[in-house]
Amino acid sequence: MAAYGAGFRVWSVPLLTIAVPLGFVVWAFPHGLAPLRAAGIVTGWLGCGLLLVSLLLMLREPRLANWLGGLERMYRWHHVTGVAAYVFLLLHPLALAAGNWQTSRVLAWHTLSPVEESWPVWSGWLGLLLLMIGLAATFTPSIRYGAWRWLHALLGIGVVIGLVHLILLGIDEPVLPILAIAAAILGWRLLRGDLGLGARPYIVATARKLTARSVEIVLRPLADPVTLSTGQFVLVAFRNGPVYRGCGEFHPFTISSIDGDGALHLAVKALGDCTSRMLSIEPGVAARVIGGFGSFLSEVSGAPQLWIAGGIGVTPFVALLNDGRLRHPARLLYLYRREDDATYLRELRQIAATDPNLTLQTIVTGDELPDIEGLLPDARELSGVECYLCGPPGLVGALKQVLSARGVAAQHIHFENFEFR
Amino acid sequence: MMRKLFLASTATFWVIVIGFWAGSALTPVAQQPAVAAEREITAAELASHAKPDDCWMAIRGGVYDLTSYLPDHPSRPTIIEPWCGREASDAYNTKTKGRAHTGEADAMLPKYRIGRFLPGG
Repeated sequence: MAAYGAGFRVWSVPLLTIAVPLGFVVWAFPHGLAPLRAAGIVTGWLGCGLLLVSLLLMLREPRLANWLGGLERMYRWHHVTGVAAYVFLLLHPLALAAGNWQTSRVLAWHTLSPVEESWPVWSGWLGLLLLMIGLAATFTPSIRYGAWRWLHALLGIGVVIGLVHLILLGIDEPVLPILAIAAAILGWRLLRGDLGLGARPYIVATARKLTARSVEIVLRPLADPVTLSTGQFVLVAFRNGPVYRGCGEFHPFTISSIDGDGALHLAVKALGDCTSRMLSIEPGVAARVIGGFGSFLSEVSGAPQLWIAGGIGVTPFVALLNDGRLRHPARLLYLYRREDDATYLRELRQIAATDPNLTLQTIVTGDELPDIEGLLPDARELSGVECYLCGPPGLVGALKQVLSARGVAAQHIHFENFEFR
Repeated sequence: MMRKLFLASTATFWVIVIGFWAGSALTPVAQQPAVAAEREITAAELASHAKPDDCWMAIRGGVYDLTSYLPDHPSRPTIIEPWCGREASDAYNTKTKGRAHTGEADAMLPKYRIGRFLPGG
């Protein structure tokens, strides 16, 4: 049963990604048309199907995330399906225009031209341009998160206008239910994920400085607490307190420990505007929590383990140690920029001094990516070892590359990198 | 990789769009053929071509044999086929929902023209 569940989690998203767009194409396949015109219609439906899958994968529901292999995996596929849909939707008008090229070059341009046209064509262009702007913003990491969220939301509006384009063309039969589903997913995400109707109420009980740029916040539940297991993360939005002004956005935080009364200990590193503000958070601030998400440490095996943490990425390992579950030898490579910037360093040294199963190796990196080749054990030492990586995407990517080159198979490399843009 | 795919596909898209515009702009305007000898088609003759496999329509004074075009029409067949053999200008102008057809449709229509409509004939 467990194997069936794991198989479902692995294959659910790839199967959805194939089945939904192909289902649309089979439903609406144009028979008896010239090849380019047929290609134009097929690419439109492939794009439409992939966009619908991409929308589904942006929902922040713990149960759905569990079925689909975790929130982080959903976001990776959300990006892949979104960009693939965009490429198909670019091909759609080009193929339709190319289909008319042989008949007349003027007619081919008329097929594309937004000039002297009407709403059926304008809406198609508007939808495509919104997707273009939204994706351009998505791929510009320098944009501040608050502005980035609004620009990213243009993608959702682009999807709806693209579907309206089909209805204006007179293709209402399969499109109205698709439009209803897309609107329902967008509304669900807005109400439950962004406005927090699906979140549980908590309150900040205490806040303790870990380093100059990080803080541990303890959240006490005001109703039923979220269901969590060790090493999972939650999405939290902080509201206003007596003095503190919360930014109200949901951000991911790993739980470093869970108290018996359901209180959550979150480790927060000041990485952006919103998290920098949290350094001065005070007791009494209301918070809303969605979760838990992630299965990074849910299936820790009995094999020897190599844990590699970059910066605040050490938190899930701290959670595992706080949970008292270390029954097998584990070596923790903890990379941080400066000693005074390393969260939980003192606690980890204390545990390593008393627990013979934990070997702690700390590496001060400065502001540069360290020499990964020199840090990692050789291929012989890595044989039979389960590797767990958590840190910034650049570090995790470099670690995965070196581990693969040293013969560690993909199923023995587990990682989490908190890339939610 | 996703970023590179986005940038490459967007740039290629705009290059091809500009190519289509240039292809149209550089095409010499064709001389209109003389239409003096255009065939006159009565309502009775039009009505005898009222099936999907033999479909004529009268639109804005012209008669068009749209048999070969029907499979290309984007909407489902039940929307367009009832207009075979009939005067369909209103349906063409409003798509029965107050929405005009696209410029592409207007540009495509002359290809199917077979004569002039005589409404009272």
